[in-house]
Amino acid sequence: MPQAKSATKRPLTYQEVWGRVGIYAFLGVLALFFLLPLYVMLVTSFKSMDEIRLGLIFSLPQQFSIDAWIKAWTSACTGLECTGLRVGFGNSVKILVPSVIFSILLGAINGYALSFWKVKGANVLFACLLLGSFVPYQVFIYPLVRFYAQTGIYGSLSAIVLTHIIFGMPVMTLLFRNYYSGLPVELFKAARIDGAGFWRIFISIILPMSVPIAIVAVIMQVTAIWNDFLLGLVFAGRENLPMTVQLNNIVNTTTGERAYNVNMAATVLTSLVPLTVYLVSGRWFVRGIASGAVKG
Amino acid sequence: MGMKHMVAVSAIALAAVTGVAKAEEPLKAEVIHWWTSGGESAAIKVFADAFNAAGGQWVDNAVAGGSAARSAAINRIVGGDPSTAALFNTSRQYHEIIGEGLLNDIDAVAAKNNWDKVLPEPIAKAVKVDGKYYAAPVNIHMPLWIWYSVAALNKAGIEKPPETIEQFFAALDKLKAAGITPLALGGQRWQENSLFSAVLTNVGGGKLWKSVYGDKDEAAIRSPEFRKVVETFVSLKPYVDQASPGRNWNDTTALLIKDQAGFQVMGDWAKGEFKQAKKEIGKDYGCIPGLRADSPYVLGGDVFVFPKTDNAEQIKAQHLLVEIMTSPEVQVKFNNLKGSIPIRSDVDVSSLDACAQLGMKIMSDPARQAPDASQMMEESMYGSVQDIVTELWNTPMTVDQAIDRFDKALKG
Amino acid sequence: MGAELTRHVKRNLVAYIALLPMAVVVIFAYLGTMAWSVRLSFSSSKLLPRNDFVGIAQYLTLFDTPRWLTSLGNLVIIAFFFLLICFVLGTLLAIFIDQNVRAESLFRTVFLYPYAMSFVVAGLIWQWILNPDLGIQHTMHGLGFSGFVLDWVVNSKMVLYAIILATVWHGSGLVMALILAGLRGVDTEIWRATRIDGIPTWRVYLSIVLPMLRPMIITSLVLLSISIVKMYDVVVAMTNGGPGTASEVPAKFIMDNLFERANIGLATAASTVMLVTVLLVMAPVIYSQYFRKSGRAS
Repeated sequence: MPQAKSATKRPLTYQEVWGRVGIYAFLGVLALFFLLPLYVMLVTSFKSMDEIRLGLIFSLPQQFSIDAWIKAWTSACTGLECTGLRVGFGNSVKILVPSVIFSILLGAINGYALSFWKVKGANVLFACLLLGSFVPYQVFIYPLVRFYAQTGIYGSLSAIVLTHIIFGMPVMTLLFRNYYSGLPVELFKAARIDGAGFWRIFISIILPMSVPIAIVAVIMQVTAIWNDFLLGLVFAGRENLPMTVQLNNIVNTTTGERAYNVNMAATVLTSLVPLTVYLVSGRWFVRGIASGAVKG
Repeated sequence: MGMKHMVAVSAIALAAVTGVAKAEEPLKAEVIHWWTSGGESAAIKVFADAFNAAGGQWVDNAVAGGSAARSAAINRIVGGDPSTAALFNTSRQYHEIIGEGLLNDIDAVAAKNNWDKVLPEPIAKAVKVDGKYYAAPVNIHMPLWIWYSVAALNKAGIEKPPETIEQFFAALDKLKAAGITPLALGGQRWQENSLFSAVLTNVGGGKLWKSVYGDKDEAAIRSPEFRKVVETFVSLKPYVDQASPGRNWNDTTALLIKDQAGFQVMGDWAKGEFKQAKKEIGKDYGCIPGLRADSPYVLGGDVFVFPKTDNAEQIKAQHLLVEIMTSPEVQVKFNNLKGSIPIRSDVDVSSLDACAQLGMKIMSDPARQAPDASQMMEESMYGSVQDIVTELWNTPMTVDQAIDRFDKALKG
Repeated sequence: MGAELTRHVKRNLVAYIALLPMAVVVIFAYLGTMAWSVRLSFSSSKLLPRNDFVGIAQYLTLFDTPRWLTSLGNLVIIAFFFLLICFVLGTLLAIFIDQNVRAESLFRTVFLYPYAMSFVVAGLIWQWILNPDLGIQHTMHGLGFSGFVLDWVVNSKMVLYAIILATVWHGSGLVMALILAGLRGVDTEIWRATRIDGIPTWRVYLSIVLPMLRPMIITSLVLLSISIVKMYDVVVAMTNGGPGTASEVPAKFIMDNLFERANIGLATAASTVMLVTVLLVMAPVIYSQYFRKSGRAS
C-alpha cells in the first residue's frame, strides 16, 4: 500500500509489524484454499490408476509418472480418433487470437464513445446490450445458425469469431465504459480544445491510459473464449473444433472407468494458455500507470 | 519427341490418373455420435471398419453427451451442412424432425432386406413413421436388468438369486444384516428413474406399465396396484448407501465388481464394466431379467438417422451405411461389444453371452415385449415424470402426493 | 430543433460511425433474438420453432412446475451468498495485495488462476474434493477422525453451499483483479493527504477510496450477476441438479427444456421470465448509472 511506499526507512512500529503479519496470514491462508484444487489436480495427474483407486486424493504420488500427460496430449481418444488434445490446440489458437483482439478493440471504442462523446440513443443501446448479456447463450443458437446459414459462413472460422465478438461485446463495453468514466475528464476537454478529433484522442490519450483495464479485458476474453465449448461445437465447423470439445469428449465419457489421471492432465493442459496469459499479464499490473499517464 | 508433344502426353496421362482416382474415390460418410467410452468406441469401430471395407470412408465425429451430439446434428441440418448420418433416439424429437422434412427415408434398403419381417414389432413401430422407415435401428438395450454380485450374495447367506419381489426384499435384508450395501444406486435422475421403472415392471407388471405410461389411464394411475408400486419404490430407500447422490452408473457397478454391494438395476451396457474387470457371468456376477414370470422385456435402443440431402453420392453413402449397420454379421459383432442384443431374429446367437441369449429368448415372446417409457410419451412429459421420481426418492414426498403428481404430469 | 440536431450529429459524426457496429449487434443479435424468444414463449414450439399462438399457456405450465419454482428459490440463495462473499472476499484480497506486499504477483496469480479454469472444471474438482467417499471426509476418516462429516454435495440441505463454495473459488479472483485495477488508478496524492490529516487507513478505504471505485464495483457486481443468472455448467458438473432437484437452477431448466426435453416453448417462457426479472432488478442500477448523468463531455 501507498503508506509503506511513501514511508522512509524508519523502523516499523509494533502495531505496524502486527499489521504486516496479519496481512500475510490472511493472504497465506486464502492462498492455500485457492491452491487446494490445483494441488489435487496435479498430484492426481501424476498417479497411476491403481493408486487413484486406493482413493487418497490428497496424498502425493508414490510413483511419479507422466504417462497420463503424454496420453492426454497425444493419444487420448475422441470416438475413433485417438490423437489427444494436440489437434484442437491449433484450432483454439486460431479462434482465440482474432476473437480476443477484435472484441477488446470494439469494447474499448464503444466504451470510449459512450463515456466521452454525446451520441443520442447510445445509452439506450448500451442498456439493451447489457440486458441481453443476461440471456442464456442457448437461446441465441438457433437464430444465429439460421443467420449464418443464410450468409453462407455457417461452420467456418468467421462464424465462430463473429459469434465471440457478439457475445463478448456487452461485457467488454461495460468494462471499458465504466473504467473510462472513472478517468479525469479534463484531459479529454483539453485535447478537444486543441482540436484533436475522435480517433486522435482515442489513440494518443485514452489507449495509453487503458492498460490496467485492458489486462482485465484480456484475462476475461482469453478465459471465456478459450474455455468455450458450446459455441465452438455449434459454429466452428468440423475443421475448426476447439480443444475444449476434445476435453469434453475425454472427460465426459458416458461409460467406462474414468481415467482420472488423464482427465486431470487434460484439464490442466487445456488451462495452460489462460494460465500463461495471467502469469505474463501480471507485470503490467503495476501501480500508477493511469496516474502516470495523466501526469506525464 | 518434341516438347509440346511430351506435355500433351503427360497431360493425358495425368487426366487418366485423376480420372481413375475420381472413379475410385471412396464414398465419404460423416457420422455424428456420442459413443466415446472404451466399449462404445470398440463397438462403433465395427461399423467404421465394415463400412471402410465395403469401399467407403468413415469420417468419425464423436461428441460426448447425447443431448450435445443430437443438437449438434440438428444445428448442422438447420445450418445447411448436414452430416451423412447421426446417432439419434426415436422419441418425440425424431417424429418432429421427420415432420419438418429434415430426414431422408431409407425405405429402399428396408424393403430390400425385408425389415417388416425381420425386425421385432416394437422396434419396427418405433422407427416407422407414416409407413416409411426413417432410421436404422442398430441394437436393442434392455435398460432394467437386475445385476448381482455372486460373492456378496454368498457372504450374506443367500442361496439362490431372487425370483420374486418377496425373495428380492428378503435378500436385501440379509445383505443389510451382513453389512453389505444391499442396493447400489447412483443418485442421478435417470438412474433413480430406471429403478422406479424396474419396480413398475416387476411389481406392477407389463399391463400396468402400458396403461400408466402408454395410455396415461387415470384409473390405472389411481389403482391400488400403482399405489403398491410407489410404496415399494419408497421402501427401497433404506437399502441404498449414503454416498449414492450424484454417483455415476459405472462407479456404481464398480461396487458390485468389488463385492461391496449386492444388487444394481442397470441396462445391459453394465456388462461392459464387468467384462473390463475380467468378471464372468455366473461365477462372479449374474443377471436377472425380471422378478415375475411375465415381467415385460423393455426394449430400448439406438438408431441412426440420415439427414436430408439431394446429393446422389451422399444418398448412396447413407444407403450403404444402413446396409452395413444392419447386416447379420456386423450386428452380432457390434452388439457383443455394445452389450446389447441384435435387432434381428435371424442371426446366429451362439456367440452371444449368457445374459444376451436369455434376453433374446424372452424377447422372442411378443407378449413380453414392451416399449421403453421414452417411446410412449413426449420428452417434456417424460421429463416431468423423471422429476417426480427423483423428488419422490430424495424428499419426504408422500405416496398420495406422488400419485397426484403422476396423474397431473401424465395428463400433459 | 432540426438544425440543432444536425449540427450535433455533424460535430460528433465520427462517434456515431464508431458506434455503428455496436448498434448493429444490439439491434439484430440481441434485440432480435430477445424478441424472437419472447414471441416463441407464446407458441407451442417443441423441438423446432413454431409460429402458432397459444396465449400464456406456457407461462401457466411454467409456474405450475415444481422444478422451476425450486430453481428460482435456489437462484435467490446462490445469488445472495455468491455476490456477498465474492465481492467482500475479492475486495479484501485486492486491498491486502495493494499493501505493497512481497511476492505480490504470486498472490495475484494464485487468487486469479481459478478463473482460468472453466466452470466445468471448477464443478468437477470441487465435486471430487467434497465427495464423502473420496475427498476431505474420506481423508479425515483415514486420519482417525471418524466422526468428521462433510457431505455437502450429497446432502439436499447443504448442496447449494457446495456450489457457492466452488463458484466463489472461481469468481473472487476476477473481483480482485477489477478492484486492483481500480486501486491502481487512484491518485497517490490522496494517501499523502490523508496521512497528513491522520485519518485511519480503514476509514480512508471505506469513505474515500471505495466510493471512488464505484464504476469498478458496479462492473464487478454486474459481471457476477451475469454469471449467476447464466449459472449452468458448474451445476451440471458438480451435482447435475441433485440430489433430487435440490440444486436445480433456472439456466439449467432452460437448457434442459431447450434440448433434452425438446420443449422450446416452455424454455423460452422461462428465459422471458428471467429476462423480465433481470430487467426489474437492473433497471434502477442501469438508470442511475447510465442515464442520470449521461455524457460528460460536449
